[in-house]
Amino acid sequence: MGQRRRVANPPSQGVAGARTDCVRVSDRKHNICMVSDFFYPNMGGVESHIYQLSQCLIQKGHKVVIATHAYDRRKGVRYLTNGLKVYYLPLQVMYNQSTATTCFHSLPLLRCVFVRERITVVHAHSSFSAMAHDALFHAKTMGLNTVFTDHSLFGFADVSSVLTNKLLTVSLCDTNHIVCVSYTSKENTVLRATLNPEIVSVIPNAVDPTDFTPDPSQRQEDRITIVVISRLVYRKGIDLLGGIIPELCLKHPDLHFLIGGEGPKRIVLEEVREKYQLHDRVQLLGALEHKDVRGVLVQGHIFLNTSLTEAFCMAIVEGASCGLQVVSTRVGGIPEVLPEDLITLCEPTVRSLCAGLETVIAQQRSGSLPSPASIHARVKNLYTWKNVAERTEKVYDRVAGEEVLPLDRRLWRLRAHCGPVSGSIFAFVAVLDFLFLLLLQWLVPDRLMDDAVDATGPHRLWRQETIVKQTKSRSHSKGATSS
Amino acid sequence: MVLKIFFPQCCNRADSGLLVGRWISGHESAVVLAVIHYPFIPGQVKQYVQQMQTRSGVELSVLGSWSLPKEGQEGMESFLRDLSTIFPQKRWLQISRQMGKTGFICNVLNRDHDGESAQKVKRKKKHEDVKGDEGEEDKEEEEEEEKVIFIHYEQRKVMMSQLHPIENGLQDPKTDSPSELRQMFQTVAQSQPLFFMDKYDDGPLKSTHWQSEGREASIIVELLKQASVPLCLLVTWLLSLWTWICNIRIFSLYPFCFLSSKLSTCVQLSYRTEHMRTLSSPRPAAGHTQFMRKANIFVSFLVDVALGMLLISWLYRDNHISMLANTLVPAADHVAKQLEELLQWLMGAPAGLKMNRALDQVLGRFFLYHIHLWISYIHLMSPFIEGIFWYGGLSACLGLTFALSLLSDMVALLTFHIYCFYVYGARLYCLKIYGLSSLWRLFRGKKWNVLRQRVDSCSYDLDQLFIGTLLFTILLFLLPTTALYYLVFTLLRLVVVLFQGVLHLSVDFINSFPLFAVGLRVCRFYRLAEGVKFRVLCDEPGTALHLLMEINPLKVSTVVQTYRTPTYSCYPKDSWAALVKKLFVGELIYPWRHKTTKTD
Amino acid sequence: MGPDSAPGPAVPWQKVLWERQPFPDNYVDQRFLEELRRNEGVRQYRYWSVVKEAGFVGQQLSCVALFITLWLYMEQGLLSPEMLLLTSLVCALLGYGLHQVLTSQIEPGCEPRTRLADLQSAAIFLSFTFGFSPVLKTLTESVSTDTVYAMSAVMLLAHLVSFPYAQPSPPGSLSLNAALFASVCLASRLPGALHTFAMLSCALLVFALWPCLLQRLRENAPNQFTGVCVGMCIGGVGGLGTQSLGGAMLLAIALGSVTLLCPLLLVRLQRHKDNIHGPWDEAEIHEDLSRFLH
Repeated sequence: MGQRRRVANPPSQGVAGARTDCVRVSDRKHNICMVSDFFYPNMGGVESHIYQLSQCLIQKGHKVVIATHAYDRRKGVRYLTNGLKVYYLPLQVMYNQSTATTCFHSLPLLRCVFVRERITVVHAHSSFSAMAHDALFHAKTMGLNTVFTDHSLFGFADVSSVLTNKLLTVSLCDTNHIVCVSYTSKENTVLRATLNPEIVSVIPNAVDPTDFTPDPSQRQEDRITIVVISRLVYRKGIDLLGGIIPELCLKHPDLHFLIGGEGPKRIVLEEVREKYQLHDRVQLLGALEHKDVRGVLVQGHIFLNTSLTEAFCMAIVEGASCGLQVVSTRVGGIPEVLPEDLITLCEPTVRSLCAGLETVIAQQRSGSLPSPASIHARVKNLYTWKNVAERTEKVYDRVAGEEVLPLDRRLWRLRAHCGPVSGSIFAFVAVLDFLFLLLLQWLVPDRLMDDAVDATGPHRLWRQETIVKQTKSRSHSKGATSS
Repeated sequence: MVLKIFFPQCCNRADSGLLVGRWISGHESAVVLAVIHYPFIPGQVKQYVQQMQTRSGVELSVLGSWSLPKEGQEGMESFLRDLSTIFPQKRWLQISRQMGKTGFICNVLNRDHDGESAQKVKRKKKHEDVKGDEGEEDKEEEEEEEKVIFIHYEQRKVMMSQLHPIENGLQDPKTDSPSELRQMFQTVAQSQPLFFMDKYDDGPLKSTHWQSEGREASIIVELLKQASVPLCLLVTWLLSLWTWICNIRIFSLYPFCFLSSKLSTCVQLSYRTEHMRTLSSPRPAAGHTQFMRKANIFVSFLVDVALGMLLISWLYRDNHISMLANTLVPAADHVAKQLEELLQWLMGAPAGLKMNRALDQVLGRFFLYHIHLWISYIHLMSPFIEGIFWYGGLSACLGLTFALSLLSDMVALLTFHIYCFYVYGARLYCLKIYGLSSLWRLFRGKKWNVLRQRVDSCSYDLDQLFIGTLLFTILLFLLPTTALYYLVFTLLRLVVVLFQGVLHLSVDFINSFPLFAVGLRVCRFYRLAEGVKFRVLCDEPGTALHLLMEINPLKVSTVVQTYRTPTYSCYPKDSWAALVKKLFVGELIYPWRHKTTKTD
Repeated sequence: MGPDSAPGPAVPWQKVLWERQPFPDNYVDQRFLEELRRNEGVRQYRYWSVVKEAGFVGQQLSCVALFITLWLYMEQGLLSPEMLLLTSLVCALLGYGLHQVLTSQIEPGCEPRTRLADLQSAAIFLSFTFGFSPVLKTLTESVSTDTVYAMSAVMLLAHLVSFPYAQPSPPGSLSLNAALFASVCLASRLPGALHTFAMLSCALLVFALWPCLLQRLRENAPNQFTGVCVGMCIGGVGGLGTQSLGGAMLLAIALGSVTLLCPLLLVRLQRHKDNIHGPWDEAEIHEDLSRFLH
């Protein structure tokens, strides 16, 4: 509690924070390993963030590899576009695609990856991912610089969040730098992990504006269509949506709903649709692939988001980028995302959301809303992956200049920062981890491990001509071995 | 780009002439099929090629020229080049071989644009100026981007072999055009008419290619073919008679229908009928798979009957049948006695388990009475058993499989009491398990929602709760007793099912094992090819790369998998886990539907 | 923005992401965490009201103790089944009358159960219990006594833990079932079928019907409810005291800690409560959205 209070009143260091000590344009190239449980073939915000960020960093000349756990038969090493190398490590999945953790068993595999790839910065993603925390822990043991990106918000009220927050405190207390996707998320993370806000950067997510362009011709002009695209789960406020639909549909006979996404709360919407006989006006499209999202968005006039909590809502940016007027709940980081004239913020109640929607519908009827093209023009430059990569690069530059705590100071810091009980426990675990690492280094010394061939980065071998050569030789060998 | 030329080995030493073959479209490769020797009249060659093309359906063409200069035969160069103007082609191959050298020399002329080819010739001349003495090498190096690889193949083996798709390659049927190698195999196989021309034929053209050794054996084959026609007709007539009998209305009534689907003899009969129908169909086998299927069925039928005859010869010698029959009744008595003892043991305190005494007594007495009934039935039957055996043994002349199926059915009938015990035990147990599981939900205040297929919470009335708990308690305390009876009888049943399973498996093995295909694999391995492997013949720095193509035979396991005759055991089976779950829940298991109990 | 002599950017920082601001990414403004709120909507407890509520837990505990006492009497032959049946009948009739009085006093509307339905339920209880009592008697014959006792103890504990103390009127399925299971186990140890029947009827009275009556009492006559609770507690301790003094002591200690000590701790520890809220909290849905569905 005491620590939390200390953080809650940050020292007035507005000027100190503004100290721009960065090596502005650094030519330093990093060997980065992104670690998370969530990656392709799983699909979601974290997954696409990791992928897009890695691609941009590769284009900037850094070496990037990704480590995740094996998905069914997808295990081993795979290469994605531009030689992005992905290690699918054979770790046991426990719940919700997150791996089980014992703090130790992943060390041999991760050490192998870090050493072979000559990693300098380990970048872990998502606080739900046990593998990310494991990787942070081992990386610090191995003396590598660490960065962590938090993609989600957490409460403080219930028992489970108390426990997870404690774990986060332990995991982040000696991490070099933390990245959050919005200011609200930063406040949340700083409180949860009792961090110094100085080492937390805010770098928002991004949207590829070329994927989401408006196309007003797809709209049907005899009706007003409200589009909702989200997973149909409680946290996305689908119960609210189930209240909004009958309320508005009774008032406006030309109102239609297009709902994309799948989840356990689908039954709520189906029941509402059945009870009010709205089968022709409420379409449930089921799970959408990323490439189909734009086709659905451009059919609508208004984009509705009913989330109950959200760190950074990419869906509303996508909606606005397609030229839709956005109506959303005022929760989490959403108010920071879009300028006020592009979004109508409401309280997370049926009445407030209905009122907000009614206003927008009235504006739509009177034609006083800005045109889709103008909305797109304003949104398209707000969030780009290039910008995200540049800002992340700065974080790497800064981190690379910092020292990684040696074991004695790390133990001291764990004790001092995480409380006497859990601090001692995890200090003990850290010692064990270090001993385990020594054992591994004794069994297979680092210098005897082969260096991996670089597909990306300054010494990359993955070039256009090599690709051609490889495919040619492959077709030959294929012809030789089989029919 | 690399140009691949498939070259038959038999043409290695052929006299000079024209190369006939096919360009494989979409790939940089050519298949040489034959060499037509000098002298010829170009018109006749064209006509011949045309004729062959219509007969075989392969896009045959003249690929180029072949020269193997004998002593004193020099200066063909210009003549050969002129030939290319007579047979207009997009590309013209000039392959030549010099006595005493292993490597070939190939020269490719592109006929697209006159200007281009002229240019190439020019450049070649330049090369000649630079390295004058290495006359052969420059031809190879004249076009760096057009390297040539010779792949030698054995024409006979390639023609007769059947290339199989890759095991786990699902892409094959999807891709529209078959792969290069497949096209090459097809080309060689289809151009069979080309090879009919004999060395000794007095045609206007002479050619070199693979030639069969003789035609004597084929005469016997023809005679056999002729003889088989009336046989087939006879079999077909018999089959139609049999089918007519089977289709009489009385056999489609419920009890017959049910029985015949459960008795393995009837099932075997229907399989054999189906097999005979396939064999005796007058149409010739279309395609490779059809042919292999027929051959496999035929061979396995022959083997089956032969084994059956062996069995008969053993059974009816030395009075083996009466010996068997005489041991049966005491054996049945013995089994019954053992069962009785088992029940007595169960009615006490088996293995120190705490059973509910009252229920235990009731169940034990019920089963004892059942055994008594069974024994009297066996004794009633005992005079007829020998007769049944004698007539049953005759069925072996239809094949060993029939005898085995009959045995399986007899075992099923003789162990009917065990089956009955099992069914009673299983039903009782099943009822308890279901009752307990739904009452356990009531115990926790939940219920099963049938519409949504999930467990909902539900508020019950006081009286519902009270009665539910009473029943739950009673069922829970009685469960061990029922479970023990169920366990014991299930084990007995499993022994019987295992025995029947072994019988079924052997019947199934004889029915479905592709004996012919395996024989073919052993004796003529190249007939069933899986792929090819290449061996470097000569890789001198000057000449083109020469590879020898050898055929990879199909693995025996793959042969069995591909060619086994489909029977009921090929259907997807229950997994062991599913079987264990069924046993746990108390669902009935049968040998004829759940093959998992078999040892396979 | 006017010309400002102070070093650093002249533009004030804004908490928005859509605008590129001349601050580094890890900039910490004065306004950092200004939306943090603490201990929103925390309830204040008063000691005696908490004690009153905890009284319900105490009386349920002593109900279980009473039931065990009765069973001990029955097992030792000190109480005849006829006697117990008669007492139960009288108690049931009295309780039913009281229940009727309390119900008619306040709620005339909301579809009361008819007398016929009550009679039907009673008939079902009695007939089933009577019919099954010989079966129940032999049920646990071969199971050892220790096992039965252990099972009963676990089940009674489950009953106490899962009892819906806030809303006991439709009895919680798990708690009622656990109690009935325990009473069946115990009753099957008694010497005769009639004993079993009597014990089960008694269990029905104590575990199923008594909480319903008590709930009515709590709603309609809070003062008497407190008295009844105290009475039950004293009765439970006294009853157990006639059989085992140590048990009674234990029960008294348990009752004291549940009703007096625990509330004290709750009230004392309230001071240390520190709950933080902010915009990151998951929004709660307060409306009743089921009206749209049903």
